[in-house]
Amino acid sequence: MGEPIELNKREAWAVQCMDRQLVVMEDLVARAADIRSWLALERQANSYARHLGTWLAKESIFPAARDRMRQHQSDLAGYAQRACDEVAGVDPDSLEAARAALGVRLAVIGKGGAGKTVTSSTLARLFAQNGRKVFAADLDVNPGLAISLGLPASEGGLPDGAIEEHPGSLYGWQLTGDMTPIEVVEKFAAVAPDDVRFLGLGKIGPASEGAGTDKSAAKQSVAALVHLLLGIGEPDWDVIADLEAGPTTPFERYHAFSEDVVVVVGPAWRSAMTARRLLPMVEDRRSIIVSNRFRDEPDHPGLAARFRIPFDPELAEVERQGLAPLDACPDSPAIVALTRLASLFMAPPGRRRPTSNQEVPV
Amino acid sequence: MKIAVCGKGGSGKSTISGALARHLARQGHKVIALDCDPNPNLGISLGVPRESVESMSPILNALLDAGHTHKDPKIEAEVLLGRYGVDAPEGIRLVATGKIERPSNACLCCGSHNTTRQFFGELPADDRIVLADLEAGLNDLIWAKPGANDIVLAVTEGSAKSVEIARRACRLAEELGVARIIGIANRTVSDVDAKRIGEELSVEMFTVPEDRAVEDADHLGVAAMDADPSSPAMVAIGELAQLITR
Repeated sequence: MGEPIELNKREAWAVQCMDRQLVVMEDLVARAADIRSWLALERQANSYARHLGTWLAKESIFPAARDRMRQHQSDLAGYAQRACDEVAGVDPDSLEAARAALGVRLAVIGKGGAGKTVTSSTLARLFAQNGRKVFAADLDVNPGLAISLGLPASEGGLPDGAIEEHPGSLYGWQLTGDMTPIEVVEKFAAVAPDDVRFLGLGKIGPASEGAGTDKSAAKQSVAALVHLLLGIGEPDWDVIADLEAGPTTPFERYHAFSEDVVVVVGPAWRSAMTARRLLPMVEDRRSIIVSNRFRDEPDHPGLAARFRIPFDPELAEVERQGLAPLDACPDSPAIVALTRLASLFMAPPGRRRPTSNQEVPV
Repeated sequence: MKIAVCGKGGSGKSTISGALARHLARQGHKVIALDCDPNPNLGISLGVPRESVESMSPILNALLDAGHTHKDPKIEAEVLLGRYGVDAPEGIRLVATGKIERPSNACLCCGSHNTTRQFFGELPADDRIVLADLEAGLNDLIWAKPGANDIVLAVTEGSAKSVEIARRACRLAEELGVARIIGIANRTVSDVDAKRIGEELSVEMFTVPEDRAVEDADHLGVAAMDADPSSPAMVAIGELAQLITR
């Protein structure tokens, strides 16, 4: 006991991640000023704890850091408990209203071409039009979300100042330790229409620039962006991520930050097969199956859509032109449907704001 | 001959690959179809029954079960092909390089890419055609590493995002030294569409028309080649097979 424990580089990275999570938690505590911000703090502690749980569940992961991981689990539980205590005397209606006003944490998944990007971008813009602060992230190395938000495709890469090397991190890179995740968003995210903040994996350059190797911009950015998403605890920010097609990104738990998952399913049988492969990976989230581009075809067996975006030639034309659908065809059937989907995530107007008159300081 | 098919998700890579493999086999070629998508579904377009596609054992899982580490699958491709391949119609042999199923699995992505390289790069073509339906995007193209003697098909539908990825794939293939790159303007609704895409890609172009019969087959999860081989898209892909082997 008391002797220093030798950590390998992976374990050292894990310990650093936990240290940084405590910084985020302390930052949230310092700024907690109303019911909603304590609820957000509780949610953030639980979100980190759930992510930690995936580490703890695997015996072989970070063996020398396991005592620290258990300590961290207890620290996070302490933050969650403190938040519970803070709101203990609050009447249920006020509590419910504050909970409804918490920012959305949404991941969008599905097969390639299912309509993830149009869904993510339109929801992000609509949330922002509703007065929310919105951060939208593209976790696909083939950028598309920028275009659908109304930005040039080249926008939103993480600059050098936002990432740093760490030998134990995935691909050897991670988010900078100089700023909290939300500070990185505020400083570096591209500003899209409606003031949506956007970050992506940067542009894959030509092969000679190292695309497909550990040196590529995408590989340098991906771990940073995943941890950035996981570290946004602010109650007044909505966070939406458009995940790369197929099972790899949910398998890698890039959706770790999310509370809600939208699974977009197209009319093709293989799109349904993909959804059936994806759903078990997100079974611990609230998931909504959204059917897209169906004409008169019935739902796929076992995949009843909770929400439907119709086949829409007008949207297809806008996609051909590479425009933001919300600007180019706001009244088209698909975008009207997405407007209704957005309202599913937004509480009734009277309950949008915290009951306390005190706004959350930024 | 080796053919690598790439493009954005949903552009029609698998539909084109499946139908092309069937046409090539009908012309008398021995065809090996590689499904390099971590979410394998090429079997559908080849005419393999849906249940077999869903339950198909990809090489990577089999290797892991046999105790190989995911970055180091050391069995020869030829052996794996015999052991883990599945028979598709018209003598086609189908193999899936990797599939990710559960969060509890070991990391399979690197392995998936490595197996793609092993199969596409190292499996001798000899007197047969190796046709690889690559994972969406550009990464797999880098892994497959097609060379001067190989053919790259960059598939795109009309959307700007899809065209942009196909354009990047064409430039990447040029950098890799691929002599024959064919852009496939898939599901085109007009000549204007096809012309615009051709200008963007600036490579040899081939057009596959929009085809409701293909969409209907897709919805049912059956091969368009079995549902309606005389539909406009299937006929066009038959011409593509002629063009490639000429």
